[in-house]
Amino acid sequence: MIRISGLHKHFGKNHVLRGIDVEIAKGEVFVIVGPSGSGKSTLLRCINFLEEHDAGEIAIDGEPMGWRLAPGGKRVRDKESNVSRLRSQVAMVFQQFNLFPHKTVLENVVEGPIVVKREPPGEAAERAAALLDRVGLSDKVDAYPSTLSGGQQQRAAIARALAMQPKAILFDEPTSALDPELVGEVLAVMKGLAHKGLTMVIVTHEMQFARDVGDRVMMMDAGQVVELAPAKSFFAAPRNPRTVDFLRRLQLRESSDAA
Amino acid sequence: MGQSYVWHFNVVWEYRQVFVRGAGITAQLTAGSLLIGLVLGLLLGLMRSSRSGAMRVPAAVYVEAFRATPVLVQLVWLYYALPILTGFQMGPILSVSVGLGLHTAAYFAEIFRAGIASIDRGQWDAAKSIGMGYGQMMRRIILPQAVRRMIPPFINEIATLMKLTTLGSVLAVYELLHEAQNLINNTYRPLEIYTTLAVAFFVIIYPIIWLSQRLERYLKARS
Repeated sequence: MIRISGLHKHFGKNHVLRGIDVEIAKGEVFVIVGPSGSGKSTLLRCINFLEEHDAGEIAIDGEPMGWRLAPGGKRVRDKESNVSRLRSQVAMVFQQFNLFPHKTVLENVVEGPIVVKREPPGEAAERAAALLDRVGLSDKVDAYPSTLSGGQQQRAAIARALAMQPKAILFDEPTSALDPELVGEVLAVMKGLAHKGLTMVIVTHEMQFARDVGDRVMMMDAGQVVELAPAKSFFAAPRNPRTVDFLRRLQLRESSDAA
Repeated sequence: MGQSYVWHFNVVWEYRQVFVRGAGITAQLTAGSLLIGLVLGLLLGLMRSSRSGAMRVPAAVYVEAFRATPVLVQLVWLYYALPILTGFQMGPILSVSVGLGLHTAAYFAEIFRAGIASIDRGQWDAAKSIGMGYGQMMRRIILPQAVRRMIPPFINEIATLMKLTTLGSVLAVYELLHEAQNLINNTYRPLEIYTTLAVAFFVIIYPIIWLSQRLERYLKARS
């Protein structure tokens, strides 16, 4: 569904993605882990073309994201309308939530469907209300984001992403900015989505969640894929020494063995 | 002690119609140049916020050129030099409106640019991630948030613009200052008339500045 091949990305002299090749299947819960600065968030942002990759290709259901090959083999930037259309099919949930502060929770959720997908407002509002109910925010429909807790804001942001009826949702460290006691409510919502068969690509430090909910886990380090394995074996029997080291530092191997 | 001047403000009252007429022209100049300044300023501000150099550079050159030359020189150039170069002569009122409009556009552009730049990158990311195009993103997400922060500097710029309209007197536009000077020539009462003029401007402009300060405090408290 999401095919990434030969992906490279530089920030100035900093080579942050050094040839990523991976294919994410429909309905898969794909978890990306790794130390900070390993390029995992950049990879996620590249999938939605919030960062523009320098080489390689990202394809959503076979359609290349952001760049097209002109006759003669030169890479040219795709039309803005094509980029926007593809982006709307791959929604994103951010570490800092990024709700629109001048709009209510409901307005945040209906914004994309009404403005981008041109749904009738009545229908969009009905669907949005149902989604907000699903993430446990039916009593916050008319609240402004600034009045919500971090966990509530993130759940509203998940509803906003779902409202686009996307093929996949990208989660960029969705619980990293939350107070510890609010992490659980967001992970519970995400777990529910995973069980419903939504395609999810998740960058996270929540190893317990990765092991319990993830189908495959990919470990990145220094812009490269270090290990890619089914979640169970990734945690039970990591093969790459860097993965072993990473997991040991998170002290999760032990609890994984015990489970 | 010292000289005592006998004020004769009845002169001003006698000729009040002249002040009203001048104030009308001042309002007209302010409104005309404000309209030009806002529209052109928004365009320039968006250009300066663009990623493309082909958009950014011309806008930057415009803004810096107009900020680095005296507005009086700009007005005189537009009124006297432009017709000679192009054969296109605007009337004095239109000249001043256009001249001040072009001038204030440079400042409005900076207000728009700074307002847009002050919006968190996450807002742009979120708007893009739900598939918004540039126009939708600006209209629905970025500008509504930016405009609230721009209101105080905006109002200050309007007050500045209103004061600049007095430069119209140089091009023989019958705005407040020019009317006042004519009146002085007829009545020989410069002290009364200039004092009235200053008070008149204060009475018009101070409430605007006061409003801007109140609004600034209000918006700060809410964010």
